Amino acid sequence: MLSQAAGKIAQTLVVLLIVSIASFSLLKLAPGDPVLLMLGSEFDQASYDSLNHALGLDQPMIVQYAQWLGNFVTGDWGVSYVARADIFNLVVREALPVTLTLTACSLGLAILVGVPVGVLSAVKKDTAWDAGAAVFALTGTAFPSFFLGILLIWFLGVKFGAFPVMGFVPPWEDFWAGLYHLVLPSITLSTFFIGMIVRVTRAALVEVLDQPYITAARARGEPGWRVVWVHGVRNIMMPVVTVIGLQLGGILQGAVLTETVFSMPGIGQMLTNAVLGREYMLVQAGVMLTAVMFILVNLLVDLSYPLLDPRLRPR
Amino acid sequence: MTRDTGEKIDHKAVLAAQLSNRIGRRSFLKGVGVGAGALASAGLGLTPDLARADQAGHIRIASLSHIDTLDPHFTFFLSAVQIINNIHNGLLKVTFDGEAVKFEPDLAASWDMEDDTTHLFKLHEGVKFHDGTACDAEAVKYSLMRVKSGDPKSPHAWKLELLDEIEIVDPLTLRLKFSKPYAFLPVALTGSTGRAGTIVSPAAVEKYGMDYGRNPVGTGPFKFVSWKDNDSIELEANPDYFEAGMPKLAKASFMLINEPSTAVAALVSGQIEGMNDCPLQLVNQVKQVPTVNLYGGVEGNYTYVGMNTRKAPFDDVNLRRAVAFAIDRDAVVKQGYFGLAQEAYTPISPPMTGFYDPNIADSGRGQWFDLEKAKAFRAKAKTQGDIEVTYLMTEDGPGGTRVAQTLAPMLAEIGIKVKLELLEPAAWVKRMKDGDFEMLDFRWWADLDPEETLYPEFKSGGSWNYWGWDNAEFDRLCAEAGAIIDTEKRAELYRKAEDHLMDEAPVAMLAHIPVYKAFAKKVEGFQYVPCDLVNLHTVSIA
Repeated sequence: MLSQAAGKIAQTLVVLLIVSIASFSLLKLAPGDPVLLMLGSEFDQASYDSLNHALGLDQPMIVQYAQWLGNFVTGDWGVSYVARADIFNLVVREALPVTLTLTACSLGLAILVGVPVGVLSAVKKDTAWDAGAAVFALTGTAFPSFFLGILLIWFLGVKFGAFPVMGFVPPWEDFWAGLYHLVLPSITLSTFFIGMIVRVTRAALVEVLDQPYITAARARGEPGWRVVWVHGVRNIMMPVVTVIGLQLGGILQGAVLTETVFSMPGIGQMLTNAVLGREYMLVQAGVMLTAVMFILVNLLVDLSYPLLDPRLRPR
Repeated sequence: MTRDTGEKIDHKAVLAAQLSNRIGRRSFLKGVGVGAGALASAGLGLTPDLARADQAGHIRIASLSHIDTLDPHFTFFLSAVQIINNIHNGLLKVTFDGEAVKFEPDLAASWDMEDDTTHLFKLHEGVKFHDGTACDAEAVKYSLMRVKSGDPKSPHAWKLELLDEIEIVDPLTLRLKFSKPYAFLPVALTGSTGRAGTIVSPAAVEKYGMDYGRNPVGTGPFKFVSWKDNDSIELEANPDYFEAGMPKLAKASFMLINEPSTAVAALVSGQIEGMNDCPLQLVNQVKQVPTVNLYGGVEGNYTYVGMNTRKAPFDDVNLRRAVAFAIDRDAVVKQGYFGLAQEAYTPISPPMTGFYDPNIADSGRGQWFDLEKAKAFRAKAKTQGDIEVTYLMTEDGPGGTRVAQTLAPMLAEIGIKVKLELLEPAAWVKRMKDGDFEMLDFRWWADLDPEETLYPEFKSGGSWNYWGWDNAEFDRLCAEAGAIIDTEKRAELYRKAEDHLMDEAPVAMLAHIPVYKAFAKKVEGFQYVPCDLVNLHTVSIA
């Protein structure tokens, strides 16, 4: 099992290396000279050259890449061109917790709603319940999240004044206020996700419920809820976890829109502002971090398979 | 007069390139007078202690545009100046009585002209920066020199190019000597539009260096507290502010919000109390909200279609004239600017008191819609028959791509087939600056004086003159007007200069655009100044 895990981790490292090259090229291919961005409109050749040298931009590309990667790995992400803010601090200490909180809440909500609805529609296959759940899931998947966000803001926020329409309060500072501010963004971000989970849960469970061991469990006279929730759900964990892992990329993508709509200071909003302000180093750091997160989650999903399914454990 | 420094600076282009959308706006507000009254009564008989006791309330204002730095001498964004102006004071300030724009002493207690090139400023006594150091003649000199010849060089350095000598007469008196009469000086020395006249704490500049923009220290009614990226910029009242009875608020937060409709929702639901800018597409909606006041009007700006005069087909003056008269401005205002803008006949805009002609529509000057005239000019053009041109557009500015789409059928009427090419803003700016275009629409924004609205933009060979237009007589008239102080004489010269520009039509004028700010009704005492901004000096919350 350890060698299997080591293989997976080695694969991941290769992918990370490729992502880092892509991420580095992004900065190099972007229009605009970083030195010009930092100096503004007025400068002489000497100050241009000295800054160019100080930033290491006069070095060969491969040296620049090695330096950048080394700095990135050691947490020295540099200072943004225009705002002159420490990027590691900005991205990891300030923006990342916001996005992680939002993602965790949305994910939690999606699982809490999606799995039971999926299970119910599998159990009550081909009933009105099932059809209703299918419509619910499809609508959720098809509805653009930014539009849903705006609808929620106008109805629940403005018309009924039930929830705050913007901002972020860290739940670790004020738990209830934090949760209160997270209600609308979490609903917005999780809808797409809920639909996916419902569909996958249903499909997997329908198949599982036809298996002989389910019939056997029923024949033993085990109660219906136990058959479904213990024997059934345990066996659909793999596809559900896989979908969650894959869709986490989607949720990060959705976070860009959701954070902008709800004005939350997370990675999404940071990326938007960085692009608008041409802070390419920030964009690069954000892209790299997002990619690392996505890859790590998939690694975790891969590593969790043997835990979820004993048949995958090496003998 | 020649102002060669104007050549090197390209701050408008940098501004446009850095962030295209809503570069920052300056409001011009009409029918205001409430604030002035509130100010007068607040100033009467209040000791500083009483004023201190009065500071209460927390205002939260959505700030919709990018903020680069809070260093007044280096920012390119008016949205930053809006905040800077609450933290700092200028040597002068812009005031507005509902009718006319005026320039008055701010940190200066008095401003005298000894002759047409020598200005004497006496400072208020006992004014301190937020770090406790004194704001005296030395500090003012330090700030002016930081702009004029500091390293790194301020983008506003050109505004003080003519400043020859700063003489410290006594600790509170300065004598500024200029090499020539300088008509633009009042604008240059304000803390708002000029930026060059904003006074910063020398001790703080020495302490923070390049990071001053994240740790600003001024003399203003509010102290800087914190700047959390993508979240908010927090200010708190300066209890020792030198103008009696100000500020009235205890705290002010500028919430950094990207999405205007979210800001409107937050304003309507009471989560914030104001918006630094209300985009045109939301104005009519916000007008209908009973708990919100909308303030705004046409400001010192103009939008236009620029044509590349360096190459065919627009090297032909008659073809350009045909374009200038073929545009139905009324339709552009309705379709491009939601019916909120005002047709432009020439560049000089309504807030330029003394220069703008309120009856310009009947004066026969400038450009307007006259299809017969357009066709007559078209008939004189070198190339007859259909001409195909490329029109570069980008999703940016108050008109977005709507203006280009509105114009295309109008130009078809005079046999110009427009091929619309949609570009990403940075690429668009680059093509414009490289002269790699035939036609595009653009704008010049937030000007208070014809000097800054005409000369750098259309000067022969000037770096903002993307159209490559060349006219020695225009240059001469503008240069002459810049070195005269008398408004009437200047106005006459600028009118002549404009007539050359409009007749040769490197640009076809479109509109003057209004800029709006929104506040909840419980916000009181907001004083409108036509140039900037969101000055919170006299604002309170009921």
